[in-house]
Amino acid sequence: MMHFDPMVPFKYWDALLIGLWMSLRLTLICLALGIALGFLTSQARRSRFMPLRALATFYVELFRGTPVLIQLFWIFYCLPLLLGFEPGNFASAVVALTLYAGAITSETFRASLKSIPREQYDTCRALGITGMSLALWVVLPQALLRAIPTLLSNAVALFKESALISAVGMADLMFIGSSISNRTGRPVEMLTAIAVIYFAVAFPLTRIVGRVEARILRRLAV
Amino acid sequence: MAQDKLLKIHNLHKSYGDLEIFKGLTLSMDRGDRLVIIGPSGGGKSTLLRIVMGLEDIVGGDIYMDGKPYILRDGAKTKIDRKLQARVGMVFQHYTLFPHLDILRNLTLAPVKTRGMSRAEAEEKAMGLLTRFGLDAKARAYPSQLSGGQKQRVAIARALMLDPDLLLFDEVTSALDPELVAEVEAVMMELAEAGMPMMIVTHDMHFARNIASRVVFAAGGVVVEDGPPEQVLDAPQVARTREFVERVFAKKR
Ligand SMILES: Nc1ncnc2c1ncn2[C@@H]1O[C@H](COP(=O)(O)OP(=O)(O)OP(=O)(O)O)[C@@H](O)[C@H]1O
Ligand SMILES: [Mg+2]
Repeated sequence: MMHFDPMVPFKYWDALLIGLWMSLRLTLICLALGIALGFLTSQARRSRFMPLRALATFYVELFRGTPVLIQLFWIFYCLPLLLGFEPGNFASAVVALTLYAGAITSETFRASLKSIPREQYDTCRALGITGMSLALWVVLPQALLRAIPTLLSNAVALFKESALISAVGMADLMFIGSSISNRTGRPVEMLTAIAVIYFAVAFPLTRIVGRVEARILRRLAV
Repeated sequence: MAQDKLLKIHNLHKSYGDLEIFKGLTLSMDRGDRLVIIGPSGGGKSTLLRIVMGLEDIVGGDIYMDGKPYILRDGAKTKIDRKLQARVGMVFQHYTLFPHLDILRNLTLAPVKTRGMSRAEAEEKAMGLLTRFGLDAKARAYPSQLSGGQKQRVAIARALMLDPDLLLFDEVTSALDPELVAEVEAVMMELAEAGMPMMIVTHDMHFARNIASRVVFAAGGVVVEDGPPEQVLDAPQVARTREFVERVFAKKR
C-alpha cells in the first residue's frame, strides 16, 4: 500500500489553477446572468397576468425541486435538439447553471421585496412617488440591499454546485483534479487538495456574508 | 374664493369590512387653523388623516379643498384629485425615511423625480430646511445614524420640500423616547407660528393645548365636540368629551 504523500498535488498546481479559473469563470458568469434572470422572474411572479405568473412559478419550482445534476444532463442532451445545432459544452453549462441560479435568486428577491415595510409605500404615495419612480428609486434599491447577504450565500452555493459540470466533461477544478487522481492513482491526495481549494474560496466568502449582513441590517434598522 | 374653506369634509363614511369607522363625519378647516384631533384609541384618527392624504378608499361622502372637489365617492369607486392630493403632506409615526438614501437625498428624491425640480435647486432648498431645523451637519448621514427625534425632524423637512398647503401629523412623537419629544414639538410650533395649516393627532394634551387653534373630539364615527382648546380641553360642553378628557388627564397625573 502506498503512503500518503501530501506533495503530489503540488506537482500539478498549474493544471489545478486552470481548472479553478474555469470554475470561477463559470460561477461568475452564471451568477450575473442568474441574478438578472432571478430578478425578472421575481417580478413575473408578482405579475397580474396569470399565465406569466404560472410560467414563472413552474420554472422556479421545477429547478428548485430537482437535482442539479439531472438539470445539467437534461440541458446537455436537450439543448442541441431544441436549437438544432451543437452549442458547445461551455454554452450548455452556462445555460444550465444560469437557469438553476435564476430559480434560487428569484426566491431571494421575492423574500426581500416582501420585507419592504408597507409604510414605505404609504410614504411614497404621500410624496407623490408612484409608478416607475417608486419601483426604480425606492423599491429596487431596497430590495437589492436586503438581498445582498442571501445573494452572496447563493454565490457560494453556486460555486460548489458548479463542480457538477465535471460530470459532463467540462474541464473545471473538479474534472481536472479527478483526472489527475485517476492518472496518478493518488485519489486521496488529489481529492483532499481539491476540497481544500474549494474551501479556500468558499470559506472567506461565507465569512464576508456574515459581515455584510450585519452592516446592511444596521443600515436598514430605521 | 376667499371664503372657501381650506378643507371641508362632508358626511364621510368609511368601513373596514363590517367595522364602521365613520358614520357621517363632518368637519371643516380654515387656512389659519391648526386642528388637533383627539379621540379614543381605535376611533379612526389615523384613518381620518390617511383619507385626507388620499391613501384610503371611502364608502361615502365628499371632501373639498378650496371649494374644489378633492375626494368623492363616484359609484363604486373613490375618486381622488391628484393635483389637490399633491398639496397635502403627511408625517407618520415611524418616520419612514428611505434607509438606502442619505438625509439630503431623502429630501430631494420626491421633488427631483416627481416634480421636475433640478437637483441643484432641490439641494439648496433641502439644505435651507435642514439648517432651519438644526440638521445641516447630518445632510450626508444615513437615517440609521440619527436619533428618533432627528429622524422625525427630517421626515417633517421632507414633507415641507413639496410646499404643502396642509400638513398632517399622525402621532409623530409617540414612538420617541420622552427626552426627544420636545425637539420635534418645537419644530411643529415653529411651523405653526409661520402659519402652516396642520391637522394633528396626538395624545399629548399639553402640546395639544399649546399648538391647537381648534380641538376636535371624534368618537363613535362622528365629531362629538369641536371648538377652541380652552373649551374642548378645559371646559367641554358635551358629557362624552368631558369623560374622555378627564380620563386622559387622569392617566397623565
Ligand atoms: N387596513 C385596515 N384593515 C382593517 N381594519 C383597520 C385597518 N386600519 C385600521 N383598522 C381598524 O380601524 C379602526 C380605526 O383605526 P385607526 O388606526 O384609524 O384608529 P386610531 O384612532 O388612529 O387609533 P390609535 O389611537 O390607537 O392610533 C381600528 O379598529 C383598527 O383596528
Ligand atoms: Mg392611530
